[in-house]
Amino acid sequence: MLSRLKIYYKIWKIIAINTWQETFINRGSNILFMTGKIIRFSMSLLFLFLIKGQLTQLGDYNTDQIIVFFLTYQFIDVLTQVFYRGAYNFRDKIMQGSFDFTLLKPIKPLFQSLTGKPDINDAIFIIPTTILSIYLISTLNIEITLVSIVWYILLLINAFLIATAFHILILSLGILTTEINGFIWLYRDLTSLGRFPINIYLEPLRLALFFIVPVGMMITIPSEVLLNLKPTYSIITAFFTGISLLWISLRLWNWSLKQYSSASS
Amino acid sequence: MKLSFGKFSKAVMYKYWLIAQLFWQDSLVYRASFLMWRLRSFTSTLISLSVWSAIYQHQSQVFNYSQPAMLSYIFLTAILHSLILSTSLHSLANEIYSGQISFNLLKPINFMGMLISQELADKAINIIFAIGEINLLYLIFKPSFILPPSNTILIFIFWVALGIIIHFIINLLFGTIGFWSPDSWGPKFLFFMLIEFTAGKLYPLDILPQIIQKIIYLTPFPYLSYAQTQLFLGKVNNNQFLQTTLIMIAWILGLGLIYKLIWKNGLRNYTSMGQ
Repeated sequence: MLSRLKIYYKIWKIIAINTWQETFINRGSNILFMTGKIIRFSMSLLFLFLIKGQLTQLGDYNTDQIIVFFLTYQFIDVLTQVFYRGAYNFRDKIMQGSFDFTLLKPIKPLFQSLTGKPDINDAIFIIPTTILSIYLISTLNIEITLVSIVWYILLLINAFLIATAFHILILSLGILTTEINGFIWLYRDLTSLGRFPINIYLEPLRLALFFIVPVGMMITIPSEVLLNLKPTYSIITAFFTGISLLWISLRLWNWSLKQYSSASS
Repeated sequence: MKLSFGKFSKAVMYKYWLIAQLFWQDSLVYRASFLMWRLRSFTSTLISLSVWSAIYQHQSQVFNYSQPAMLSYIFLTAILHSLILSTSLHSLANEIYSGQISFNLLKPINFMGMLISQELADKAINIIFAIGEINLLYLIFKPSFILPPSNTILIFIFWVALGIIIHFIINLLFGTIGFWSPDSWGPKFLFFMLIEFTAGKLYPLDILPQIIQKIIYLTPFPYLSYAQTQLFLGKVNNNQFLQTTLIMIAWILGLGLIYKLIWKNGLRNYTSMGQ
């Protein structure tokens, strides 16, 4: 098992190095991408600080707490991009029939399809933004304890599992419908609802964002736990959602592989 | 003479009408993709409405906007985005770089006319769906709207048309990147990010600090929906009518000239390499 993991790590490392080199070939384009990401992050933060200057409360949360929700969203979103950007190229593989070659290789097709092309821009971007986020959190008027930090980290791992499950579901739907790009962008947009606490949204959207597309379990619950607030749903519910979603997505992936007809090749 | 011109224009118009029909058919081949695209637009409007509704729970006036003014701004921006910011030119750069554009250049049809009819077809399909979405959001949030002063409606329509032209030329410029490079997504991504925060649904431009606003007003971004919303909300005074109209026309002329020069230069270098 351990040696298998080592092999996969080695493969991922080679792919990542290749992508890194590719990034530096298209320097101009990547600088613009990075600038765009910096603008998005800075302007979102600016908006939150402007809001902070105007009001003290947003829903049941104070404005300092709202900033923590946004920073948690930002971290999970970028982290997922770093690892699973390969999923964005999956549609081309299905449409052109090159997924056949993926299936022929002695490496799990799911691993190849998910992690095929890490996002180097985001890998670079996550470092300064995480440092800045930690600094910003340290300046806010919020109550954080060592225990809440430990639970927060565990729940962030759970959030990453949920994100993984979503990407697997999207890939499976890609095999079944070839509509992968639309699903991925929809997932990104739904996740972006987590920039703010899910509790500010109306029912039944709020409930759907906790249990159907559990953005709330990914972002709202970890943030509430970090802030020592009573979580909207229990931590156990969050972990249960993460694990069951991953199990369902893996089952669907295996089933969809059996439906793959290689029609394009 | 008059009759033959009429026949000619009718035949030409029919040709462009057919192009628009083909575009609609093509757009609806991957229906789920189109549906997802609309769902994304719906989601972003939903986020803005939810956030601002939550903000106004505790206050009646924020950043000099009352709740009806802010919700009107968001609804209006959603419609204007479908009208002004939708485009069929996303793949132009790739078509040029791959050499696919050769087929269109060889056809007995005006290439620019073809692009314009496709662009209008794209806007038509987007606005139809946007109106449906707006109605749904209206039923959910039931906001009270601010209606524009009656004397500004014609100017509003004119400004929307100018916004559409500015955005069209900017996208043509992005397309010309294809004459030299396959990477047009970098500049486009930056453009989308800037649009999100200068003409976005989440908040109006005038809540930003003065210095940022001044910088943004040196660019064409405020004229891609923000200026039109301010006119609609009655926030533009008589002096600004003419000034803003002239600035928008200047942007069209300036960008149009740049496009013409680049396109001419690009065609001279074009080798239809991919074909």
